[in-house]
Amino acid sequence: MSKSFKAFGVTLILLASVILPACPKKPPKVAPTATTSVAPATIPDVPLTVTTATAQTVTEPNDFVATKTDVTTEVLPNDIGELNRVAQSRGYIADAFFEYNDSSLSADAQTALTNSATWLKKNAQYNLLIEGHCDERGTEQYNLALGDRRANQAKEYLVTLGVDASRIRTVSYGEERPFDPGHDESAWAKNRRDHLVLVGR
Amino acid sequence: MKRTIASLVLLFSAALTLLGNRVIAQTQVQTTINANQAAQIARIAVPRPETALPLETINAPFFAPLTRDLAYSGVFAIAPIPPNIPAGADLAKAAGAQFVLSLKINQEGQDYIIDARLLDATGAPTQFAQRYRGGAAALPRMAHMLGNDLVRTINGKPGIFLSTIGFASDRSGFFEIWLMDWDGTNQRQITRHNALSILPSLSADNERMVYTSFARGTSDMYVISRRGGARTRVPTGLNLNTSATFSPISNDIAFVGSVAGNPDIYVVKDDGSNLRRLTHDSSIESTPEWSPNGRQISFTSGRSGSPQIYTMDAEGSNVQRISFEGEWNDDATWSPDGSQIAYTSRVNGRFQIRIADLATHQSRILAGEGSNEQPTWSPDGKWIAFQSNRSGSWQIYRMRVDGTDLLQLTFNGENKDPDWSKKGD
Repeated sequence: MSKSFKAFGVTLILLASVILPACPKKPPKVAPTATTSVAPATIPDVPLTVTTATAQTVTEPNDFVATKTDVTTEVLPNDIGELNRVAQSRGYIADAFFEYNDSSLSADAQTALTNSATWLKKNAQYNLLIEGHCDERGTEQYNLALGDRRANQAKEYLVTLGVDASRIRTVSYGEERPFDPGHDESAWAKNRRDHLVLVGR
Repeated sequence: MKRTIASLVLLFSAALTLLGNRVIAQTQVQTTINANQAAQIARIAVPRPETALPLETINAPFFAPLTRDLAYSGVFAIAPIPPNIPAGADLAKAAGAQFVLSLKINQEGQDYIIDARLLDATGAPTQFAQRYRGGAAALPRMAHMLGNDLVRTINGKPGIFLSTIGFASDRSGFFEIWLMDWDGTNQRQITRHNALSILPSLSADNERMVYTSFARGTSDMYVISRRGGARTRVPTGLNLNTSATFSPISNDIAFVGSVAGNPDIYVVKDDGSNLRRLTHDSSIESTPEWSPNGRQISFTSGRSGSPQIYTMDAEGSNVQRISFEGEWNDDATWSPDGSQIAYTSRVNGRFQIRIADLATHQSRILAGEGSNEQPTWSPDGKWIAFQSNRSGSWQIYRMRVDGTDLLQLTFNGENKDPDWSKKGD
């Protein structure tokens, strides 16, 4: 990664912080390593790249991507919470969802984990915590065990895709921390998941 | 018999003086009234205490819990005293009671002195005469002690009024471990992890609890005194460390440990040594619970394709399936005499408490509104506490094993994971 790209990123951040009134006064710190981003096809909602021409529309000043021809330089947030929000919203890492009382990885779950593995291998400065979660329909104690199994299914899959096992930790929350507090299938479907969380090394 | 009970009471009072709430039970005369002579349920009249103290200082902390204990004892029925009884009238006759409990309360310095005598239907004193002494904070405890002594006098068995129920409550902002008395009073916070802490289990002597906390970002087992204070992590080297439960006969803890996503039943000493794996299936195993004699362990396994209840010997052999009905059963817990298992069983899409007889394999459902989970037996086997979301939030309830006398015990925040102490006196 060339120094000029990094400098370019810093310039863009400074530019954005001048343009946007909502920006923090202090320029955000630049992550120590800028990286090449994943392919745009994997980004669901937020545009991957920001050019100088569209800098005014940037709403995430801490989160920056610069593009020049086909090479992308990216500055990731230092704040771990912000980093996770960005990484999830851009699909760098993605949660895996499960069927009721099941810990096997569906095709969708495998796709999510494959994309996550790709990004994790390129961003070795982060470790991964996988939280296993369950919907409320089971019992608390059995669901803690089920969540453990779900989290480890994802861990094993990421390892087979080449992510170093020592970078991955798992924890089961069972049904203790639902993402959606509702009591219907749409809520339950959201709550049966492996939640991927980036953590510092 | 007489000597045994007297020395028991003295032993107990010696232990109690070590506590913060100092209570002294001074045995004057103590004996059992032949249970055959007493009716199955003894009608007892409990007139207001004779005292020069303002009644409001006695009523809420002492008299109310005492009459509540007796009313729910299953040994006594409170015989209501008709209004406007002239002084010196025959109370037993007026109330149609077999016994009258005579209470005299005096104050000496900071201490309350309670003299309790049991009179028979003729107004003559029985051999039950007990003195209790302690500060104002100890009045509820003195009420429960007197209740236990009266129950033991009638049926020779220990009462449960000094039993406690451990549970998890989020009223402080996080789920933490709490304790309450058997009647739902005296709810106090035991752990202060400021992190998710759940599933307490009381030790056989009712002195310690083991539970799971996520305080380190992983789920770990901790042991803490029932008076709070410092907690000790029980290191296992495994994941999960959930569903921890103290052995009734040793310092062993049964729990769910996991290696590489395979949750199994393990046993470890409370200092983290002597780790033993009891189940070796590739399926999910969870929720161990010791039989009262410590020789067997019940658990939940998904080996049949759905969570079902099994038992095994405490070394892991002789596995037997207990539950066959329904596609989700969990939370098995043994009756104090070891003859029955109560568990959570899904019936028509909702969880209910089911009680199965281990000899006959017959089971019955204690149906209630909402979802009803995590049953736990009272030390005398007459009650079950459980959690239900019938009110719209998770709360802890108590009912008799036949489903009657339902009582909600918690009201603040969400409350779950009840564990009733094995000791009640």
